[in-house]
Amino acid sequence: MHTNDEDQLNKQEEIHHEVDDATQIKYFGGDHEYDGIKELDNPLPPWLKYLFYVTIVIAFSYMMLIFVFEDDDFVQHKEYRKEMIAARAKTDEAVNEEATKAATVAPPSKEEILAAGKTIFDKTCLVCHGKFGEGLVGPNFTDDYWIHGGNPEDLLKVVNEGVIEKGMISYKSQLNKTQINNVIQYILSLQGTNPPNQKAPEGEKFVKN
Amino acid sequence: MELQKFSYDNRMTRNFAIATIVWGVVGLLMGLLVALQIFLPWMNFGLEFTTFGRTRPLHTNAVIFAFVGNAIFTAVYYSLQRLLKTRMYSELLGKIHFWGWQSIIVAAAVTLLAGFTTGKEYAELEWPIDIAITLVWVVFGWNMFGTILQRRTSHIYVSIWFYIATWVTVAVLHIFNSLAVPVSFLKSYTLYAGVQDALVQWWYGHNAVAFFLTTPFLGMMYYFVPKISGRPVYSYKLSIVHFWSLIFLYIWAGPHHLLYSSLPDWLQALGTTFSVMLLAPSWGGMINGLLTLRGAWDKVRRDPILKMFVVGITAYGMATFEGPLLSFKSVNAISHFTDWTIGHVHIGALGWNGLLTFGMIYWLVPRIYNTTLYSTKLANIHFWISTLAIVFYAVPLYIGGITQALMWKQFTPDGFLMYPNFLETVTQLIPMYAIRAFGGFLYVSGFFILVYNIVMTIKAGSFVADEEAQAPALEVMPVGKTSSESGHRFLERKPIRFLIFATIAILIGGIVEVIPTYLIKSNIPTITSVKPYTPLELQGRDIYVKEGCYNCHSQMIRPFRSETERYGEYSKAGESVYDHPFQFGSKRTGPDLAREGVKTGRNYKPDAWHYNHFIDPQKMNEASIMPAYPWLAIKEIDIQSTPGKIRAMKLLGVPYPDNYEHQAIADLKAQADSIAKNLATAGIQTDSNREIIALIAYMQRLGVDIMNKPVKE
Repeated sequence: MHTNDEDQLNKQEEIHHEVDDATQIKYFGGDHEYDGIKELDNPLPPWLKYLFYVTIVIAFSYMMLIFVFEDDDFVQHKEYRKEMIAARAKTDEAVNEEATKAATVAPPSKEEILAAGKTIFDKTCLVCHGKFGEGLVGPNFTDDYWIHGGNPEDLLKVVNEGVIEKGMISYKSQLNKTQINNVIQYILSLQGTNPPNQKAPEGEKFVKN
Repeated sequence: MELQKFSYDNRMTRNFAIATIVWGVVGLLMGLLVALQIFLPWMNFGLEFTTFGRTRPLHTNAVIFAFVGNAIFTAVYYSLQRLLKTRMYSELLGKIHFWGWQSIIVAAAVTLLAGFTTGKEYAELEWPIDIAITLVWVVFGWNMFGTILQRRTSHIYVSIWFYIATWVTVAVLHIFNSLAVPVSFLKSYTLYAGVQDALVQWWYGHNAVAFFLTTPFLGMMYYFVPKISGRPVYSYKLSIVHFWSLIFLYIWAGPHHLLYSSLPDWLQALGTTFSVMLLAPSWGGMINGLLTLRGAWDKVRRDPILKMFVVGITAYGMATFEGPLLSFKSVNAISHFTDWTIGHVHIGALGWNGLLTFGMIYWLVPRIYNTTLYSTKLANIHFWISTLAIVFYAVPLYIGGITQALMWKQFTPDGFLMYPNFLETVTQLIPMYAIRAFGGFLYVSGFFILVYNIVMTIKAGSFVADEEAQAPALEVMPVGKTSSESGHRFLERKPIRFLIFATIAILIGGIVEVIPTYLIKSNIPTITSVKPYTPLELQGRDIYVKEGCYNCHSQMIRPFRSETERYGEYSKAGESVYDHPFQFGSKRTGPDLAREGVKTGRNYKPDAWHYNHFIDPQKMNEASIMPAYPWLAIKEIDIQSTPGKIRAMKLLGVPYPDNYEHQAIADLKAQADSIAKNLATAGIQTDSNREIIALIAYMQRLGVDIMNKPVKE
């Protein structure tokens, strides 16, 4: 019984060994026909096989680097530490260079300072203080009332340290000293500009001392 | 041999084909809507039901499960009968499958727009719908295996291997990712928390792509390409090798969605390496599809249907080349959270899934209606419009994604972020978004050409409900493996054994990755200062999930200088241990919010700012593309649900004190009052029972805990 079945299978295999006319490739034998679909007896394309081997080698080398050698470039907290140290060194160098340069170049004009200050204001301050400094969540910059004082050094203190309980964060780590000075000069220049939609005065009327 | 007469049932094929077209219109129009909403905030119409956070999940669910899902069933119900020379096992099961699936889609559309969501991408549906999906999926499998077991062919063809793998894997993924503790009829908390939830979710999410969008379409390709072209399949041996390697390797690759996150390094490494190894098996499918057309290229030139298959398969090859590339950490550091990813998936979705589905419909509908296609010329126009649409869609997103990533990472020489304001990096993308929307418009237009062409075809034809066929009865096969047949050939005539082997192949990766993440403590180091959310924050978090904030905001600061400078200390695994669900996000259309509440941080905003910003983002920032959420200030917090939510969280292991559920409402009210009072000092009058209060409470809690005490790594 069993052998008869095997014979039958073997016979089928033999019958179907035809060749595809278009490509001259042998069809896969036996009952490899499904709703008229036949299958060819092509091997795997060699380049695809080798591509598979190469990706496996890459994958295992990668795993070795991370699991066995714990390579600095693959363990992410080490990677981060490395990036931060490198960045600090580079920044220090740039700041020193800048300082030597600044000593030899003429100081910027008032217009340049205000223009630079406006750029920073538009990126950073307008979110809370309004497009024209008219005040939004934060206080109005255009009237002569100030909560924390209206001297440049008062503003510097607020920008550097923030007034966290009111939502003003510290900008010491986001803006450099020149940028902070520029934006303060710009804010002071807004005094008396009288834009529309002004926020009601807050704080005390400021008299320059 | 005696020929047996029987008939193929075309009813279900027709039903699923029509459903594919109908849901195709819905899903693609939703896609166009969200493409417009992303750069035109007014397109959100100021209504909660039409805002991006809810429409985007509807778009993704509609195209994946409604459009592509019905296309899969169309292909299976058509090809399975013919490949096995038998009628479908049960008409009744077919009907339950069809109407069950369509009801699930309707329920999904309604609940998603109404704001019922689990907050897990592509698995947003709430628990009753998840149960319905499971039941309908079982019915589908029952009908499929019933048909396989009553076949008149000795062996099962490669298409059916892919159908089997699809069925079992989707079942496993869906069930394990959807496990949750219900709080009420349409609200539940996922069983997993934080990093563990993220791992399970992306094991699911990645393999939904693999086993819902890829393997069934490979099955489709193996049937329709040889049928339409009249050419034999290029290589049976390649079929075997790429099938098994593909399903075994795919399941491991999920963690590549979480590179540089707080997921443990070893899991990330598995994500990368298995993705790299997937390249050749994926291309095996492409090669076998394209080389099957050898000797039929003259036909391809003339036949728009074959052209669709060729471009579709090529798109598959492109997407599966890009996939491993994006899984390298160095590339992912640039691509992740940007529009690059969106471009990548749409090469697959519009090219591979879309064009194959169109081709199948153009070929199959005339056959079951006993006629010819109304207009080959229109089909040809559809082909060209779709192909052009893909280019217009994807190219701007690649450019935009890379541009934005580079802007995020740019520093000034003295060590400050060049673009500290996130919005600056968004404004750059607006023209790209506009071009992308134009690409989407083209694609939708092409689809309407299909609708017209198919309607006219159906009108001209007459439906063949039962298609006569004949085949010899199945001969009795030897029980064991014969000496002349290969092991795999033997397996092909043992479908149940085949199913078991496929199941083993797809389970290994998941088991190796998921179980140790639960059992080994060092994977998620405890941070003692991390505490459960207060009742008000918990309610706020549920609102965050409900409004779909995760669609645009991540909560995962990666360990890069450019991110810690912008957002603060990078995210740690121990921080999200009470997050059911995790909300790491996968896209930053807006800035990361992981440290939003840290008062000394870069992004801290006062309560009043948040209030104004939720109600009218453009008032705070003209160029902002965030939709407005005015209803948050009107709708009241569902305070009565609080004790139930606390109880569910306790069941999940969140350490609230004993009997805290009785204390929760009082605590919630006290915290809400203090926020309302704080808003009043800024001149904002609001009742303390409004949703916006809860959401502000949640915002101000984000990322705060680990700043309370120094953390050790």
